Amino acid sequence: MTVEQDFVALDQFPVGMRVLAVDDDQTCLRILETLLHRCQYHVTTTNQAQKALELLRENKNMFDLVISDVDMPDMDGFKLLELVGLEMDLPVIMLSAHSDPKYVMKGVTHGACDYLLKPVRIEELKNIWQHVVRSKGLDKNRGSNNGDKRDGLGNEVAANSDQNNGRANRKRKDQYNEDEEEERDDNDDSSAQKKPRVVWTVELHKKFVAAVNQLGFDKAMPKRILDLMNVEKLTRENVASHLQKFRLYLKRISGNQQAMMGHSDVHFLQMSSSLGGLDGYHHRQIPVGTSQFHGGATAMRSFPPNGILGRLNTPSGIGVRNLSSPPSGIFLLNQTDIGKFHHVSSLPLNHSDGGNILQGLPMPLEFDQLQTNSNIRNMNNNNNNKSISGNSMAFPSFSTQQSSLIGAPNNNLLVLEGHPQASPQGFPGHQINKRLEHWSNAVSSSSTLPPPVQNSNNSIHHQFDVSPLPQHSKPDSLEWNNGPTSYSIPFCDSATALSPGLDTNPRAFCRNIDFNSNANAQPGGGFYDSLQMRQYGPNTDAILSSNPKEGFIVGQQKLQSGFLVAEAGSLDDIVNSTMKQEQSQGDLSGGDLGYGGFSSLRTCI
Amino acid sequence: MQRQVALIKQSLFDQGYLDDQFMELEELQDDANPNFVEEVATLYFKDSARLINNIDQALERGSFDFNRLDSYMHQFKGSSTSIGASKVKTECTMFREYCRAGNTEGCLRTFQQLKKEHATLRKKLEHYFQLARQAGPKETARRPK
Repeated sequence: MTVEQDFVALDQFPVGMRVLAVDDDQTCLRILETLLHRCQYHVTTTNQAQKALELLRENKNMFDLVISDVDMPDMDGFKLLELVGLEMDLPVIMLSAHSDPKYVMKGVTHGACDYLLKPVRIEELKNIWQHVVRSKGLDKNRGSNNGDKRDGLGNEVAANSDQNNGRANRKRKDQYNEDEEEERDDNDDSSAQKKPRVVWTVELHKKFVAAVNQLGFDKAMPKRILDLMNVEKLTRENVASHLQKFRLYLKRISGNQQAMMGHSDVHFLQMSSSLGGLDGYHHRQIPVGTSQFHGGATAMRSFPPNGILGRLNTPSGIGVRNLSSPPSGIFLLNQTDIGKFHHVSSLPLNHSDGGNILQGLPMPLEFDQLQTNSNIRNMNNNNNNKSISGNSMAFPSFSTQQSSLIGAPNNNLLVLEGHPQASPQGFPGHQINKRLEHWSNAVSSSSTLPPPVQNSNNSIHHQFDVSPLPQHSKPDSLEWNNGPTSYSIPFCDSATALSPGLDTNPRAFCRNIDFNSNANAQPGGGFYDSLQMRQYGPNTDAILSSNPKEGFIVGQQKLQSGFLVAEAGSLDDIVNSTMKQEQSQGDLSGGDLGYGGFSSLRTCI
Repeated sequence: MQRQVALIKQSLFDQGYLDDQFMELEELQDDANPNFVEEVATLYFKDSARLINNIDQALERGSFDFNRLDSYMHQFKGSSTSIGASKVKTECTMFREYCRAGNTEGCLRTFQQLKKEHATLRKKLEHYFQLARQAGPKETARRPK
């Protein structure tokens, strides 16, 4: 019976299809309304986008289709399109007098299922019901396989596309055919009968992102994501559709901001806020999880997954721990910069965990934390130091690692470098990377970053929270690096603001490290030089490690001067602490700087 | 009477004041919507008068914010197109061209022209509708096929 009912109901479709028309121009709206009536649709009109949204939110199932103008005073048509697509999952048709292909493209990328030009002709409107069917049809198809049932609807529309709509469609369809019973659902969709529409809350999205990160953005499959998320009543279709949207979103974002390091992800759901994890960098597993990671991870995704970043994703908690094989620095580095880091690669290598540190780095999420230190940001920014600061967050984990990293002579500390990790765009870490990159570059020169920090890493930890690695704040790369080039990689606490360039921001960063020297200390070529300082060897480490308070700033600058540490004053401490690791203090300072940044990097890694 | 109405309408088309879109609108008019076209035309003139006013003010102020002007004009063009006001539409397009080129002189000139066309069309349509109403709804509503 149901079938029959459906059948009948279907037959009537598209008659009575409920359309919501939105256009600020009264003339056009009136005309549109009449045209739609002529097509025997049920029409609701409004000339305000806000009102339209309200209507839709009030009851999603009140409409089958939305037609909206593009230029509206109270809200951009594309914005409305996006919102409707995300929240209500209804097909939206754009309408405009603009025939410019750019607009059409924009419509498509924002998810419009069609784009009509004004003046609209009735012939065009007569076919718009296909969009509704298409979205519903897919579902149906899936479930029931009986296309014939829905002849008109084109059930068979093999629209594999919208899974998303599947559910929704089903629902709508249900609405459409009042008599429809669950039965149809059964047929349709394995996923559910009358599944209530899923609302993607922040929490849920966080989980989703975490799962995606865990799996690897490119490899994320809905089924697996679903499993990882482990949420009741969530179906694969839900996840699939959400994934699709997410991907589109990212693509859009990445298109917009190459440079923007990963904030987009963050924004996606505002999740990244949780970066938190980094601070602890002491091996704290970088809470990559969820938001953080996801920010980064996702962000990263847009970029060619750098080694490091990739790491980040691993749920293994970015925790620095994972660094173990520091993807050579990959970490952080933004892709663009990554090359720079080249050195980085060797980062933490020595220390298995060191590697992690960096790992942590990628944690752009952590970055957020870093953000706290806004200082760091500053630090980073200014100097070219690649302030790993961004990474520093991640570094926290480093710190512990750092020592290892730092120690590792491979100045690669910066290992961070290069892996052009695609700086997660959205990913705060992204920034870090950049910074790191600078760092690495800088460092690379020094190449032997004395992993001064090694032991000090611990100390650095503190710093970490301060300012996540100012690491050689790549002066611009990492946004937050902007901060004083204080490269102060948090690691080093003492890191006397490694960043030579760090300008003094490190202070913020390093908190203590006064890095004053750093400010321009750039001993040698700016902060990065400090990295180079690495050569100084352990100095940096020392710096890094040394005062935790110094934060990593490790005076990269000092490096140049030979001891940032010295300057930092605290550096001495730092240096000492780090020194133990290996080298002479002096070196540290000098080289450290290079290292500093680097080391921090290392730590990060 | 009807014939007269038809003639007037024809001339409007011939002179290029109206185009096919207007015909489409007339198609939409039926028993359920007997005065559809007139209603739409009224709406249009009301809206466009407002727009013209805005543009006038903007131009008078002397500050040529081309973006704003362009956006007004875009709106204007949209509705003009929907109603089939062909000449007005042309003027709109020209105006926008001048805007894009930053040609204030051209903008002003075109705008004057546009206003003229608009006023002319309005008059003519009003006349037309009046006659149409007099002639009797049915006949006037339908275009002689």
